[in-house]
Amino acid sequence: MQHSKQFQDIFADPKAYARRWKEKTGGKVIGTLCSYAPEELILAGGALGFRIVGGSGSISKADAHLQSYSCSLVRGALEDALNEQLDFLGGAIFPHTCDSIQRLSDIWRMNAETGFHLDVVLPVKLNTQSARNYMAAVMRKARTDLEAVLDKIITDDDLQKAIGTYNGIRSAMKRLYTLRRDRPGTIDGSDVHAIVRASMVMDRNDFLNSLTQVVESLEQQPEPESKTGKRIFFSGGVCNLPDVYSVIESAGGTVVGDDLCTGFRGLTGLIDIGGDPMDAIADRYARRAICPAKHSGITRRGDDLVRLAKETRAQGVIFLFLKFCDPHAFDYPYLKSMLDAEGIPSLLLELEEQIPSEGQFRTRCEAFMEML
Amino acid sequence: MITVGIDVGSISAKAALINAGELIGSRVMLTGYNARNAGENIFTGLLDDLGIHRDAVDRIVATGYGRNSVAFAHKAVTEITCHAVGAHFQDPAVRCVIDIGGQDSKAIALDSTGRVKDFAMNDKCAAGTGRFLEVMARALEVDLDAFGKMSLKADRPAAISSLCTVFAESEVISLIARGERRANIIAGIHESIGSRVVAMANRVGITEPVMMAGGVANNIGVVKALEKRSGKTILVSAYAQVNGAIGAALIAAG
Repeated sequence: MQHSKQFQDIFADPKAYARRWKEKTGGKVIGTLCSYAPEELILAGGALGFRIVGGSGSISKADAHLQSYSCSLVRGALEDALNEQLDFLGGAIFPHTCDSIQRLSDIWRMNAETGFHLDVVLPVKLNTQSARNYMAAVMRKARTDLEAVLDKIITDDDLQKAIGTYNGIRSAMKRLYTLRRDRPGTIDGSDVHAIVRASMVMDRNDFLNSLTQVVESLEQQPEPESKTGKRIFFSGGVCNLPDVYSVIESAGGTVVGDDLCTGFRGLTGLIDIGGDPMDAIADRYARRAICPAKHSGITRRGDDLVRLAKETRAQGVIFLFLKFCDPHAFDYPYLKSMLDAEGIPSLLLELEEQIPSEGQFRTRCEAFMEML
Repeated sequence: MITVGIDVGSISAKAALINAGELIGSRVMLTGYNARNAGENIFTGLLDDLGIHRDAVDRIVATGYGRNSVAFAHKAVTEITCHAVGAHFQDPAVRCVIDIGGQDSKAIALDSTGRVKDFAMNDKCAAGTGRFLEVMARALEVDLDAFGKMSLKADRPAAISSLCTVFAESEVISLIARGERRANIIAGIHESIGSRVVAMANRVGITEPVMMAGGVANNIGVVKALEKRSGKTILVSAYAQVNGAIGAALIAAG
């Protein structure tokens, strides 16, 4: 699709984009390891948030620090850092999420040369008043910490502008996902994936402008011939494989929605405006779609999954987990039984950064489509 | 209507011909290096066996890992769907198929119409597959065909704890060096396959009647080990190895 060319280019080489941005603006690029990194504060501080979702090749140096049963995201990210592939970073932010990312933070602090190092120790439980108060306090500390390392006062006005940008991005992404749900022929899954990935690295104001144009033009397009593919919903963590979309599509499926970390999960929920900006930002992080390393009620993720699968009229759910991602693996049995109870078939695919044996992967996807 | 199913597996290629809902004949050969040639050879070989001309065949469906390299097939369907259809044809009561092939193993749950309800497949690893047995047969200098029967003579199956084929092979070599009886080692190998495959099959639920398909079904030792581990009776038909090809031929008939 012509519209998505610039997003595809950035997704193909996000590091080159970040280097160019840094050269052009003289600003700081800040690596983030999770969708719970307080991006609004980074933007308000005039820096570029750069989400690290894994590495760029085979692993050798990282294995001196991490066990082979760590996920490929953690191992790949460290490998890139140790290989100076991330030398354009002025700093890195590690939000408190899964155990692997928390311990990666320690290894990173002692071994990687990527500028300043911030841990944002977020609450795990999100659905109590005390957790929300704590969340707001953590966000205020992150603001002060960022002011120190960026050598810039982050004013409430800066924050309001950043909130406006992020609310704009998240609203436009919601429109894109609505289009994908209602008119799945309008945009390919791999294009949506590229747009989401670009949203994690591109200058956020530029991204908002480009995204808005794309969404408006797609909305005005005449209704395409309806795709006859089986409607598939993706559930899981980080998917670093655009090939997954083409495999699903060539097997006769159409992806109509997702709750992936490299999908809609981090883009849910708008920030309230009018009140204290820090409280509003913190409140949205407590309300947004949760990750399995967080808690917001015993069946929150299952309730969300069943609701989304129904809303998108999914005929089947494909779970995409990174191998060795135990937060997702622990949730899987109850998520699957909730889907089973609703009569929604599902398939579990465990992935690493490279598809390990493409033939078997293809066979599973095709067999699942034949089953539906 | 005459239809043919061609199953190009990682080790062997299989073909089956169906006419008006009847299985007329089947054939098995080694796949070899070239999957494209294997599809053509097994097809012409089967037609020669049966004295049927190519033009008499109405439709062809290919399956197996080489399914997309059979250029003359009308359609490619995964072996998971084909095994379900094939097993349902052989015995409509079957609710679970365990297929152990050359490079992977699968467990398939099916409904009363032969449709796949759920399936599980082993991950990118030779453990619990036909290839694993080949490696072990070589290490033990036993003909693979004799493997199954020999293991029935075991008095105390050896414990093989490694899941990985390479590590399991070195465990086997240590057992040989220790002077363990061959029958016990082979029985231990079968039990390790049995426990691995049953663990995978439990993910879809092992509902009886259970049928085993794929070339490894011809190994009575593995069948017994699966029965022991799962506590279920496992049916093995004379057509276990060509079950996927039969399913493909039936799908071709529509």
